[in-house]
Amino acid sequence: MTDISDRQQLGYIASQAADARLNLELETEGMTLNIGPQHPATHGTLRIIAKLDGEQVIAADPVMGYMHRGYEKLTEVRTYPQVTSLINRIDWLGSFANEVPFILAAEQLMEVEAPPRAQWIRTILFEMSRIANVVLFLGDMAVQVGAVTPVFFAFRDREHILNQIESATGGRFHPNFDRIGGLKDDLPAGWVAETKQVMKKMRGFCDEIETLVMGNEIFQKRTRGIGVIPPDVGLQYGLSGANIRGSGVDWDVRRDNPNGLVYDQVDWKVWTHPDGDSFSRFWVRLQEVREATKIVDQLLDTIPAGPIMAKVPRIIKVTAGEAYVETENPLGVMGYYVISKGDLVPYRVKIRSASFNNMSITPWLLKGVYVPDIVTILGSLYFILGDIDR
Amino acid sequence: MGLVESGKIPKGITSLLNMSRKYSLWVYQWGLACCAIEMGAAFGSPRYDVMRLGVIPLPASPRQTDLVVVSGTVTDKMAPAVKRLYEQMPEPKYVISMGSCANCGGPYWDSYSVTKGVDQIIPVDVYVPGCPPRPEALLEGIVMLQERIQNEDMAARWKGESIVVD
Amino acid sequence: MSQLSSTDTPTEEAEIATDTVREAMLEQLSAELGDALVGSHLEPGIDLTIRVTADAWAQTAEFLKNGMGFAYFSFVSAIDWLPSPFGRDMDSQVDLALEGADPKEAEEMIWGLAGGETRFQVFARVNDIVGHRALTIKADVPADTLTVPSWVGTYAGANWHEREAWEMFGINFEGHPGLRHIYLPGEFEGNPMRKDFPLLARRVKPWPGIVDVEAMPGSDDEEDETDAGGSND
Ligand code: SF4
Repeated sequence: MTDISDRQQLGYIASQAADARLNLELETEGMTLNIGPQHPATHGTLRIIAKLDGEQVIAADPVMGYMHRGYEKLTEVRTYPQVTSLINRIDWLGSFANEVPFILAAEQLMEVEAPPRAQWIRTILFEMSRIANVVLFLGDMAVQVGAVTPVFFAFRDREHILNQIESATGGRFHPNFDRIGGLKDDLPAGWVAETKQVMKKMRGFCDEIETLVMGNEIFQKRTRGIGVIPPDVGLQYGLSGANIRGSGVDWDVRRDNPNGLVYDQVDWKVWTHPDGDSFSRFWVRLQEVREATKIVDQLLDTIPAGPIMAKVPRIIKVTAGEAYVETENPLGVMGYYVISKGDLVPYRVKIRSASFNNMSITPWLLKGVYVPDIVTILGSLYFILGDIDR
Repeated sequence: MGLVESGKIPKGITSLLNMSRKYSLWVYQWGLACCAIEMGAAFGSPRYDVMRLGVIPLPASPRQTDLVVVSGTVTDKMAPAVKRLYEQMPEPKYVISMGSCANCGGPYWDSYSVTKGVDQIIPVDVYVPGCPPRPEALLEGIVMLQERIQNEDMAARWKGESIVVD
Repeated sequence: MSQLSSTDTPTEEAEIATDTVREAMLEQLSAELGDALVGSHLEPGIDLTIRVTADAWAQTAEFLKNGMGFAYFSFVSAIDWLPSPFGRDMDSQVDLALEGADPKEAEEMIWGLAGGETRFQVFARVNDIVGHRALTIKADVPADTLTVPSWVGTYAGANWHEREAWEMFGINFEGHPGLRHIYLPGEFEGNPMRKDFPLLARRVKPWPGIVDVEAMPGSDDEEDETDAGGSND
């Protein structure tokens, strides 16, 4: 409030005083609102204890742990191939993407590199799991403001992607397809052409959502200017993915450090939005799905021929050492800090999941918002409980 | 209904009542983890269309439901909430446990924080195996439950005796 | 609003260039921290790990954020370097037979990159998203107090991470606004991520483990097949 005239300042003080008088008249008892652990707005089992003053939240305290399954401990007693099947289930909407950073970290320690064809297919499946994941967000975000139909569209079109993932990997949901040194199998015949068709359908879906949701007046009113995250706060809390790009920070691990994936072979854009509100996060994600379909299309055209598996021993013992690899997962930056002692099992795996950091901003962000906005803000931050609690 | 109390309901009426019950199951979606998405696909997507089986996946509160599908990992922290939910449901109530996690702990069988099966907390009628089960598998589980409801002896159930399944 | 991505492939020069970047980072840090920087490990072209004393833990964060532009907070966690007192019986029995290891054999504590002196270490990672740099910071946790200074004052996002480390390892963070349970129910006993926390289900029933490491019946020539699939094929 630097360049404000005296007149304006007086007006401001007067309105503050009027507000205070009104508040005194309408003074409410503080109320504690418990949302969850099972509530449609929490996408699973998150619980939020909100202290309210009327319709306004004074303090919000998320309670996690309803989905805590002890991944980090369990990885210490699983062999490396077993860990892959376990970590599929962290972010269950884009399962394949969970495997990649872990496998890359193990490969970095073992100093093997997957053959080019495997890297290509990895990147394709990685982007397809991004689509499978974010598509559901696009539908779900509309539900948060009261429109039910888009989520049916999302489920409908998501099936196409799941079909493709299934025919390539054998798993609709949890592919467990990545191996240290490559992939389990090659692509089935005819897959490339089919996938191209599906990508076209997904672009159609994006257009549909854009016309259906984004221009909608209710949607705009409920999301524009709501839940604004300034970039410096977002960085402090370690936000990533569309949440930080929605605040205008131009940072994408895919572009800046594509280690092991072939993003540098395609022509694509990193989208950002300067506003930092719920709407911009939705907008960025929508563009990202479009971009992902383009990446997949380009990669499908250029898949090199060759083997899909590098030469690795039959019994995997990862060389002793430490490695940290992060990738830009559908939810944000996901990293694995793998400490190996040369055993069949990892010694310690620190899982840096995107949603945990993304959610840690909620106590700050929900302070002062109105109760109905809790729902849209949480929806636009887009978390998956398995990814928070691990 | 004196007939019911005396335990003598004509077969025809029993089967009529059972049939109406089995084709109007209101189901509460107790989605906990990955399986919840497959349940959502079964209940919410046009491809599987659960309503053609006479299942209505709409209730927002467990107090209006006949059936609950527990899909996903039940943790020790969650367990009391699951039990309370079950207590809130009106009789007669049924439980489908979906996925290995809810059946027995699944991939987290050795975890320190996961309940090894929801049947340790509440009685389960139908187990749907898989990790995650395909939506079709859940639909089959529902059909199995409907068969079971069809064969129920209402009088026995009203008297509080155990359910008889042929 | 948007920016075209740079599509240049990382070449040999680029790798060497990053290296000088990391060396410069290390120099800057050692100039600032002096004796508080007790260890470092530079993996050319890959990563930089430094180890500081517990007292300088918070000061390091402060300097990284305000002095060097590492504005992005990635995570804080801890490592327990104790060899599991349960030995290999936490693993599968099959592995044991394969290894021929004695499960009760006492092992020595071996530290990872940048060394160590105590059983517990805290480690964290911060990024500089403008210069595309990142590093790992470690610190030994004093064995008697199990306390290190908190990072919450510098990086607000450390709050939940420190609660997690407190719950999982029992490490205190001095200056943290409220160390409460984050994942586990309040009545949970013990710190599950410590190496001496047994997984009871495993002690009752050992996991059969990597069963199909033995060659499949009828395929003797499998020996040299390059299959990393392990048990999940
Ligand atoms: S059974 Fe499998 S898919 Fe289902 S909740 Fe458990 S881990 Fe997830």
